[in-house]
Amino acid sequence: MSDRTVLPFGPQHPVLPEPIQLKLTLENETVVEAVPHIGYVHRGVEKAGERMDYTQNVFLVERICGICSFIHALCYCQGIERLMGVEVPPRARYLRVIWSELHRMQSHHLWLGLLADALGFESLFMQFWRNRERLMDIFEKTAGSRVIISTCTIGGVRRDIGPEDQQMIMQELEVLERALDEALEAILSDRTVKRRTVGKGVLSAEQALHLGAVGPVLRGSGVAVDARTEGFAAYADLGIEPVVETAGDAYARTRVRARECYQSLGLVRKAIEGLPDGEIAVRPRGRPDGRTISRVEQPRGELLYFIGADGSARLDRLRIRTPTFANVPALVAMLPGCEMADVPVITLSLDPCISCTER
Amino acid sequence: MMLQRVLTNLFSRPATRPFPRTSREPAVGYRGAVEFEQENCVFCGACSLRCPANAITVDRAAKRLTFDLFKCIHCACCAEACKRGCVQLRPAYHPPVYERPEFAFSGAPALPMEGEDREDLPR
Repeated sequence: MSDRTVLPFGPQHPVLPEPIQLKLTLENETVVEAVPHIGYVHRGVEKAGERMDYTQNVFLVERICGICSFIHALCYCQGIERLMGVEVPPRARYLRVIWSELHRMQSHHLWLGLLADALGFESLFMQFWRNRERLMDIFEKTAGSRVIISTCTIGGVRRDIGPEDQQMIMQELEVLERALDEALEAILSDRTVKRRTVGKGVLSAEQALHLGAVGPVLRGSGVAVDARTEGFAAYADLGIEPVVETAGDAYARTRVRARECYQSLGLVRKAIEGLPDGEIAVRPRGRPDGRTISRVEQPRGELLYFIGADGSARLDRLRIRTPTFANVPALVAMLPGCEMADVPVITLSLDPCISCTER
Repeated sequence: MMLQRVLTNLFSRPATRPFPRTSREPAVGYRGAVEFEQENCVFCGACSLRCPANAITVDRAAKRLTFDLFKCIHCACCAEACKRGCVQLRPAYHPPVYERPEFAFSGAPALPMEGEDREDLPR
């Protein structure tokens, strides 16, 4: 047996936008063991959620993640609405889908850009991020803010999307689809990209299920699980088929996200075409009392909130399980046996969101 | 395909703007600069109660409102809470500052607005 070396990967590493440390045990160039260390960006959001008013928490949970802020708020609001027995108007449910899917698209664009950047494909990275700007502009025009859009509220949404904005979204999506075709062709059929991703970080379907992986990591391994099929918001009306790839490697996960971009495009169009008229919010009465679990599908996977309320203005307990937290065991299982040079790409293939994980 | 992109990029203008020569105007509904209308404020404290970031404090006895820009998260809850429309978020960016700006005003309670009785004023 050759000598083993322990190499710290992170917490600061060019490929990681956020701090996580992986202690890699190497045998020559091959990884034999990976031990993750988290705790660099803990912010105490769960505790803060017990100290604020339950209506103000919407703005708190949105700030857990900058990339999928709306979906965090959606998960929280759906949980509180269930506790309070609030029936959300149909128009609000459709608007929630529109903003959720736009957020999913911008998150996948961000990630595809980061992947290109991790592979050293700078020009493609800029193309993805330039396309993403269109989505950010849609947020600014429809919601009034680019990143943390704060449109979800308990009982509905805070803003309506008028006919002009609907048309603007449709036109932007048209341009975006063409740009996406072009950029995705580069990342999915390029020989160099394939050599860096095909067969790297393989996770079998059994392993993925056993380790509790979620989102594109799980679906990339051939397991058709998507929380949106449960039909929250307006997904039941719009219909959704989970995007599945079977190879279970970094390339399969890339393909899942690429195909999900098109799926989201379709969902936004369908939601705009079928947008019902009516109220956009109802005023909730009373205060939440009881315990509930709320789950939604984030771009990174399934997000789960446990909300415990005791009938007062403040929550008893707010527990947040983010998708990256569920995917860390899968990462630890993927790394042994791979080359040191592949670690950045495999780590990135999870779409890690460490600030989410540590809350 | 790659060559086409190279040529397009070579002969097209940059995707970015030459800031500060051309600046970007925020969208119409953008939640930007927070502005208070001092003359209509009755110091009821509705804005400060709704503010998730505790950026607004209202001393009802002393009739004084303090706003901390650095705490503000631009959620527009105050604008929704104010029944008299004294708080508005204008589609404009706050200019950069070198030190923590202190914004406060105090004064006598406002007079009733048109169609409003003295008794109707939020207390």
